[in-house]
Amino acid sequence: MKRRSFIKKAGIATAGVFSVPYILPSGRLFAATGSRIADHVVLCLFAGGVRNLESIQKIEGNLMPNTLLGNETVHPQIAAGMSALPLPFSAKLQTQGTLFKEFRYAAGSTGHFNAHSSVLTGRYNLVDVNLKQRPAYPTIFEYYRKHNSPSMSALNAWWISNSLGPYPALNYSDYPGYGAAFGANYFQPKSIISESSYEVMGNPKNFSTSELEKIKKIRTFCDNNFAKSYTSGDAGVTNPMEDAQRLEQFLKDSYTDALAGLYDNPWNSPSGMSGDMFNVFSAEKIIERFQPELLVVNMQDVDVGHTNFTSYCDNMRKADYAVAHLWQAIQSTPGMSNNTVMIVVPEHGRNEVPNTVLDAYGRYALDHTNDAMSREIFCLLVGPPGKIVQNQVISSIQGQTIDVVPSIAKILGFYSEIPGGMLEGMPLEQAFA
Amino acid sequence: MISMKKSIHFRLILTLSFIWFAFAGNSCKKETDYVYGVTDVDLYPPGADKPNVKSTTEFISIAYSDIFGTTIPQDKLIKLQLAYSAFGDQKLIEELVVRNFLNQPANAIPTQAEMSANPEQFIKDTYIKFFSRKPDEYEFYYFKTTLAQDPALTPELVYYAMMTSNEYRYY
Repeated sequence: MKRRSFIKKAGIATAGVFSVPYILPSGRLFAATGSRIADHVVLCLFAGGVRNLESIQKIEGNLMPNTLLGNETVHPQIAAGMSALPLPFSAKLQTQGTLFKEFRYAAGSTGHFNAHSSVLTGRYNLVDVNLKQRPAYPTIFEYYRKHNSPSMSALNAWWISNSLGPYPALNYSDYPGYGAAFGANYFQPKSIISESSYEVMGNPKNFSTSELEKIKKIRTFCDNNFAKSYTSGDAGVTNPMEDAQRLEQFLKDSYTDALAGLYDNPWNSPSGMSGDMFNVFSAEKIIERFQPELLVVNMQDVDVGHTNFTSYCDNMRKADYAVAHLWQAIQSTPGMSNNTVMIVVPEHGRNEVPNTVLDAYGRYALDHTNDAMSREIFCLLVGPPGKIVQNQVISSIQGQTIDVVPSIAKILGFYSEIPGGMLEGMPLEQAFA
Repeated sequence: MISMKKSIHFRLILTLSFIWFAFAGNSCKKETDYVYGVTDVDLYPPGADKPNVKSTTEFISIAYSDIFGTTIPQDKLIKLQLAYSAFGDQKLIEELVVRNFLNQPANAIPTQAEMSANPEQFIKDTYIKFFSRKPDEYEFYYFKTTLAQDPALTPELVYYAMMTSNEYRYY
């Protein structure tokens, strides 16, 4: 009787340990989150406006031979306009995951910034947002850093954009309770790993440890006599001192590598590195150094499609190679190999009807102005067997760009922590094994 | 009757005397000229009253002027703005910007000898340069003591500490 009573009480107590939420030192209520599918997510925005016709429907031939199965040759009319690229990787990405062939960017303007915002916030913006205006709702970086348990530093969340303009603003929102304190480390390699930036940033004064102690003492005195603190918000995303030192070292090493010519053509591409390739290469360097849990990198070179259809097709091939190279880099990174899900998705498509700009190969260019075809895109989730359904193609209309944020949250195990009503989409369950 | 006349005369004389003193006597008194003046005072805002954070352009150009004593060239400003925009942690970038400025030989930082020759003036000048105000008594005492106690404390270290403090980011 006593033994049975003991076992019963012990069982209840043990259950209590696992089910009762407790308060973290930060004061945040901790409740057991859903289990993770993988510990890392890399979202590659195959952006710039990609039509399904040229990508997964292959009407100009297989312009994505690293992603898609098939040996269709490039259409003879534009073949001469294609750059020489390294040979495709043997394993096609399509076979390593689930391909949604009829994905949708269903609402909102088909502008790059608006559509990027939709992918990164999980919500459609039905009113055109002003450029450089932060999103109205939290981004995936904010959801991750606020709701993941335990809380992760910004070294675990990265937003790598291939251009400046409005894109830095997509890091974090002005939503109450979120904001810069939960943003990612933002990086735009083309501007910062450049000759001009090196000229003004590449030769900082280095202080000894004892000098740094003196500096810290005086700075602390000054800060104690001033009411405001220059931290997250006014200062963007701030990192603790130790993380900031790692970031600084990363920048220094990047400059050293660039000076040594290691950024010139690291992939030995016969036609050199495109902007997209360079951006993805920089993302790989961050993966190699920090093994972040969440990294978002975008490409945009296909946007040349406004004025040059053949270059649009050519840049799609380069972007395809870059994505495959990224996946290879992930697989050769300890900790991320076999523990990463990569999501590849354009932000929107392009119009069905071309504009009037003719290229040298007799092809008309394509804009993106809200017609039905400019909302038709694809989405690919690749990941380890047992986590992501392998070699699956979903040809019916399923999935939207607003489903990307819930899917990432589900993969990283904090989907159930996001307050109700914040997200409009749902996780792409069909892709999860 | 006679005594009544005397009384009237006495009253008349008294009244006339009073009137004379009231008007004529007063006019003989020398006027005092009061001259009011104002002592010259340097007006600086108090440290806590700086509500606005400096913009990127403001921070870079002010930091450059504070270190080099001249206006930043336009091409340098553009290059720095580009690097600044391309990195999310602005605090880190600002520290790098200042350290790059400090590492250039053309900077106009006082020498150790200049600081040691007149530490009090150095403290006042530095506060005005970076915080646009004079140090209060406590701040003045702290810096005076710190400089006196640590001969290895260079103007460069003081400059960097103050330029990376919270107050320097606001105006």
